Amino acid sequence: MFYDKHAKILITIVCAILGVMLATQFRTNESIKANIPYQRAEELGERLKVVEKERNNLLLDLQRLQEKTSDEVIAREINLLKAHAGFTALHGPGVVVTVDDSKKAAKPGDNPNLYLIHDDDLLRIINELRAAGAEGIAINDERLLAVSEIRCAGPTLSVNNNRFAPPYVIRAIGDAKSMENSLKMRGGVMETLKFWGIQISVTSEEKVVLPPYRGTQSFEYAKVGEGAK
Amino acid sequence: MLYPLFGLLIGLYVGLNMPLSLPQEYIKFLSIALMAAIDAVLGGVRSAREGNYDNQIFVSGFFVNAIVAMILCYFGERLGIDLYFVGILAFGLRIFQNIAIIRRLYLGK
Repeated sequence: MFYDKHAKILITIVCAILGVMLATQFRTNESIKANIPYQRAEELGERLKVVEKERNNLLLDLQRLQEKTSDEVIAREINLLKAHAGFTALHGPGVVVTVDDSKKAAKPGDNPNLYLIHDDDLLRIINELRAAGAEGIAINDERLLAVSEIRCAGPTLSVNNNRFAPPYVIRAIGDAKSMENSLKMRGGVMETLKFWGIQISVTSEEKVVLPPYRGTQSFEYAKVGEGAK
Repeated sequence: MLYPLFGLLIGLYVGLNMPLSLPQEYIKFLSIALMAAIDAVLGGVRSAREGNYDNQIFVSGFFVNAIVAMILCYFGERLGIDLYFVGILAFGLRIFQNIAIIRRLYLGK
């Protein structure tokens, strides 16, 4: 026809450029389509799947935990409460306080009672220990409960209705340093007792073992709860 | 008559396999350039049928139209005037016109 060779090449090149432009436009358009709504939908679908899986796992967990609640969790709770109440043995760092009667001979005219250990001496020590954060206390292997008494019973002391004679060994678990310091405080328990010659010593120990309360406890009068009015 | 088709196929093949893709904000320019290019090619076909085909006019028309269309579109965008639509409309009208004339020429009426 009327094209020469030069024209053919040029036309081919021009058409090739047109083809490239067409293809690029097509691809860009496709990628935009893929980018915005499709990718978003895919992403949301993926997230939905993940969240559903998570939900199913959590439901299973819940079920398992509810099944467990009847035995394992309750058992754990009971153990913890027992430990708090003093019905289990405890061990941990703490102090051991040994108290014994005075070896000083009472001066004539002095009240010999002043040279003996009394319940209130021990109560002061116990109180001091509790103030210093003792988590568990035992006197001569008798665990102190919330309702334990320390009471004078003739020449002996009665703790949990068991009688003990001196020397008394008080074990307490807690911050050994602060308990020791609170006892040795100037003008504190130890200084007062030592004034009367009462032998008292405090040692911090890495491991103090408290025995459990061995008796039984029951409520005769108290009932649980506030009760209906 | 096979050369344009051949070139078009090569271009399509290269374009589809090209790794680089256009950022989305430039797709307007490419599309208006594409309209100009299609118009130029159809104009070329038409002039070939009419018998007054000129190589220089064809090639320069192809590139200059595309580039001017893009420049117009760019400034329209910067000025906030939608010259893009004007270009698309103008080239679209011309494409249909060219196709109509080519159709008539092929039908020989």
